[in-house]
Amino acid sequence: MNCLEFRRGLLQDPFDSANGLLEHEAGCGECATFARELRAEETRLRALLNEVSPPPQLVDNIQLAISLQQRGRSRRQVWYAAAASVLLIVGATMTSLMSTSWERGNMALAQSVLNHIDDEAHHLREAGPIAQSRVKYVFARFGAELSGDIGQVNFAAECLMRKRNGVHLVLPGRQGPITAFFMPGERPEKPLPVKSARFQGHIVPTVWGSIAVVGEHGEPLQELGEKLAAAVLWPAATGDLVGQRLPAAALVAQQ
Amino acid sequence: MGKLNQQFDALVRALSPELYRYALGLCRNSDVAQDLVQETFLRAWRSQQTLRDVKTARAWLYAILRNEHARLYERQRPEVRDPATLPAIPVRGYDTSTEAFALRRALASLDLQYREPLLLQIIGGFSCAEIGELLSLKPNTVLTRLFRARKALRSALEEAQDRPEKHHELS
Repeated sequence: MNCLEFRRGLLQDPFDSANGLLEHEAGCGECATFARELRAEETRLRALLNEVSPPPQLVDNIQLAISLQQRGRSRRQVWYAAAASVLLIVGATMTSLMSTSWERGNMALAQSVLNHIDDEAHHLREAGPIAQSRVKYVFARFGAELSGDIGQVNFAAECLMRKRNGVHLVLPGRQGPITAFFMPGERPEKPLPVKSARFQGHIVPTVWGSIAVVGEHGEPLQELGEKLAAAVLWPAATGDLVGQRLPAAALVAQQ
Repeated sequence: MGKLNQQFDALVRALSPELYRYALGLCRNSDVAQDLVQETFLRAWRSQQTLRDVKTARAWLYAILRNEHARLYERQRPEVRDPATLPAIPVRGYDTSTEAFALRRALASLDLQYREPLLLQIIGGFSCAEIGELLSLKPNTVLTRLFRARKALRSALEEAQDRPEKHHELS
């Protein structure tokens, strides 16, 4: 092995202990110095690449995401079973079902929002503000853009809503944490109230879906709702608006 | 969490740190890296029945993460952090020496085709043959890229060391 081959081999793996390399190193002073320097650099490089620890919540987040997916699957199975049952009786009760279906759907949507908040109540306790880049990234996963300031955000994630994934935010409020859901594909005919023993809020329809804003009783939500709707540009998914990104507030006005 | 099988849970705990480091080396953005690792495990969980041998799980997860990263780049180019800035979360033992920052910059400036085999070799501990399988390259090509990666790193570091002197000469 000559010096060139030795150095080439060492640059491929500085800690390679192949016989040929070791023999050359033992017999060539210049190459031995080169090897020492290269190994010192390599040690530093390895330390740098391995010094980074993942955020402590990473494992919990992964486990939570998997649990949510499991829940989503079982929900879908229940939904398919329910849909099959409904099909059996739909012929006989078509008229009465049609008259009340929207109302039922709306109630179910409002209830699903409350269930989601209850199921993930631990996110209400998220304390610190998260980076703006994180919030932008979560919206960007849907092709949406956060173009304005929405103030402090304590939690932002892509979450399984009733039918498909949406954006789940938790923001600080005066009475306590406020939850906001951006729910693509969930389009009630008109704004819906959301109410439980602890929470109150509303779901506002848009062209692409709806936005739910829910806080503790007594929490003023109107202003925040408008701010969120104005700050997020969501890709339009229907009719001649396909491909456009419009402020959520403008989309509400077109209803 | 009780519903997750223990084997998969063990995989998450054992491999998420190194997958995070690999993801961070690819995208250079901590938030994106976290999402990539999360998405990797979600995809793996969805198709875990296709994994016949647990011993191959590591390479399988690296492959999924790599695909997720490529998919992400198809949709958008994530914001890249300056490698010289300090991490948002304090890291114990984080090397703040000038040489360390120069090395981080040099590593970040490496073209992905050279950076990736290096990350797989150092973080993943994969052999050239394994890296070749992951990247769909011949082992000799992997060796060449590793060689070029380290050579480029050395040049960048030497340049960084020379720069203050050049500056001095000019003034």
